Amino acid sequence: MFCILAFMVLGLLGIFSASSRTLAKEALDCVLRRVTLRPCTTGFDERMKSRILGSVINRSETAARALNKNFELLSWVFFLLIFGSSLFAIRGMYLFYVTGSCNGLNQSAFCVLDPKGQSNEVSAVSTTCNLKSPGLTNVTLKGVDLSGFPVLHPGAMHKIVMIGCYACDYSRKVYPEIRDLANRSGAEFTFADYPVKVKTDLTTRLGLCVHQQDQTKYWKLNDILFATDKANLDSPAFVQKAIADLGLDSSKINRCLDSSATEDRVDKQLNEIANSNFYGTPTIFIDNTVFVGPKPYRVYAISMQGLLYWLH
Amino acid sequence: MDLKKVRQDFPILEPRDRKQAITYFDNACQSLRPRAVLDAINAYYLQSSACSGRSMHRLADEVTRSCDQARVAVANFLNASRKEEIVFTRNTTEGINLVANSLDWQKDDVVLVSDKEHNSNLLPWQSLRQKRGVILKIVPSQRDNSFDLAAYENLLDRKVRLVSLAGTSNLDGVSIPAREIIRMAHQNGSLVLLDAAQTAPRAGIDVRALEVDFLALSGHKILGPSGTGVLYGKYGLLEQLEPFLVGGGTVFSTTYDSSEFLPPPDKFEAGLQDYAGIIGLGAAVKYLESIGFAAIQKQDLLLNQFITDQLKDIPRLRLIGPDDPQQRGGIFSFYLPGVDSHRIALMLDQMAGIMVRSGQHCVHSWFNAHKIEGSVRASLYFYNTLEEAELFVDSLHKISRVL
Repeated sequence: MFCILAFMVLGLLGIFSASSRTLAKEALDCVLRRVTLRPCTTGFDERMKSRILGSVINRSETAARALNKNFELLSWVFFLLIFGSSLFAIRGMYLFYVTGSCNGLNQSAFCVLDPKGQSNEVSAVSTTCNLKSPGLTNVTLKGVDLSGFPVLHPGAMHKIVMIGCYACDYSRKVYPEIRDLANRSGAEFTFADYPVKVKTDLTTRLGLCVHQQDQTKYWKLNDILFATDKANLDSPAFVQKAIADLGLDSSKINRCLDSSATEDRVDKQLNEIANSNFYGTPTIFIDNTVFVGPKPYRVYAISMQGLLYWLH
Repeated sequence: MDLKKVRQDFPILEPRDRKQAITYFDNACQSLRPRAVLDAINAYYLQSSACSGRSMHRLADEVTRSCDQARVAVANFLNASRKEEIVFTRNTTEGINLVANSLDWQKDDVVLVSDKEHNSNLLPWQSLRQKRGVILKIVPSQRDNSFDLAAYENLLDRKVRLVSLAGTSNLDGVSIPAREIIRMAHQNGSLVLLDAAQTAPRAGIDVRALEVDFLALSGHKILGPSGTGVLYGKYGLLEQLEPFLVGGGTVFSTTYDSSEFLPPPDKFEAGLQDYAGIIGLGAAVKYLESIGFAAIQKQDLLLNQFITDQLKDIPRLRLIGPDDPQQRGGIFSFYLPGVDSHRIALMLDQMAGIMVRSGQHCVHSWFNAHKIEGSVRASLYFYNTLEEAELFVDSLHKISRVL
């Protein structure tokens, strides 16, 4: 058992150290001999055991005695521990690949592959927005009326709903990926702006007004708003320029922006989004799965198209 | 002997940090080298790297002289009658093989060896048994592993052509009564070959006083370079021997059909020799003589006595050889029943940087006959200290408590 244990440990160390690689080869030879019911002739196990005992004995004779007496048992224990932790490591890597976190989708516990937890970061909705933070389990689109929101590729089989915020870093980070995914997959893409930063109210109203006037140009505007410097988002001059650049009827848009009906509709939409119980942006729904925080592109793609998404 | 000063002559023993410090107790395998030997080797490669006894230029002349001086030094070291009695070899094994393959053996000639010979002094005779029909007889040792003169006498008959024995056993450090053995052999009309690999490092050898016919030793056990050795032979006997390895440097002249060999030792030194090694060996014997065998034996005994006294309270420890350390020279060979000797050796190294030999020490035949798997052999030398012996004892006590 020790040979297998040593092979596992030295194999890992061998990634970084040439001397460990040599020992790992010896351990492998030993393992192959053992599995074919032949004795290990290199003396590898004896050599390693002696070295370990020699190191331990200088620190504690009692520990060395116990180790010597229970070496095989301890080898089994460590083997099982390493085997178990290897399984967890593989599971973690799989989860990281599939969900962007070693611990599973939207789990913010420490992940060595994403030590800063970037894939779970959100721009939190402030308490002044009348939103509670109910926890992930309650985040749902059930009962949320999305009929008034802009939709790209309506009627497609797969459905993507993004609750984002033009001025929020994480939404800005993930928006191009979601947009790309929607374009590539042809999925139905609904975008709901929820201005976590209060100052960007203007852009929310602008989106609504542009969408009313020209749905195609709305998506162009959306791309512009996510791409532009955040400082521009509450600038009327920038808004006017964007309207002009898109070839929209500026007077009509401006009237819409100033209209109390627009404000009412914006409020209604915000309240509708709030019913989803989301607690930060970006929150993305792909079919029935909720993704909170900016995940890597592959995570969204896998959710929709499976592990081999890149074949599509 | 100023031990501190002596140790300064050995670069490998220069003080290091604790992790890298070594206690070298594997001297029976090969000794360490003093700076004088290393300098001699370096001087050859740096200043006079050329062939000896062939070319006529200055460098060659210098090498020829240096090698000749080394031969003289070794002849003096052994008190040989003349330098031509010294044949340079690669090691003791080669020296023994040279004799084994060069004597004019007759079928049913008997070779006597002891029951604890190194493979070097067993396999050549086993091979001869197969090739030439020579009979190999084993002289059993006494219970304490010392030489049994009575058993030897019983086996010594007119058919014994050669008695080939290790002067000092590498297994337990026990020396044989060489003078008496040789006297008895000669009375019987038998030749004697002494394997002096373990004797030469510890005892002054006087081949003339011993009247030994052949004697083989290794340079690397007497502070010399690795892969150097010596075969001493009485000149008259060497003249009679047929060279067993022939080639360049061994002949006056050749025709397509015949060859005229040079006299000893040249006819045995075929091909280009290890000149650096030979010159280094010359430096080694001179250094050894400057230390003096009395001082060497005194230090061996001091350390072996200390180790023996300190370790006798380990009940499981089985000592190989006599209890009296005086009879074991610089060797303390032991085993713990049921414990792999390699494990003990590896642990000593890991724990305290103590280098010892483990296993069957090329004396498989003895271990197999005694059904012992192996032993740990601490072999001491004059540059070892009492502090090192203490470290060895402490470490072994710990190991015995743990294993």
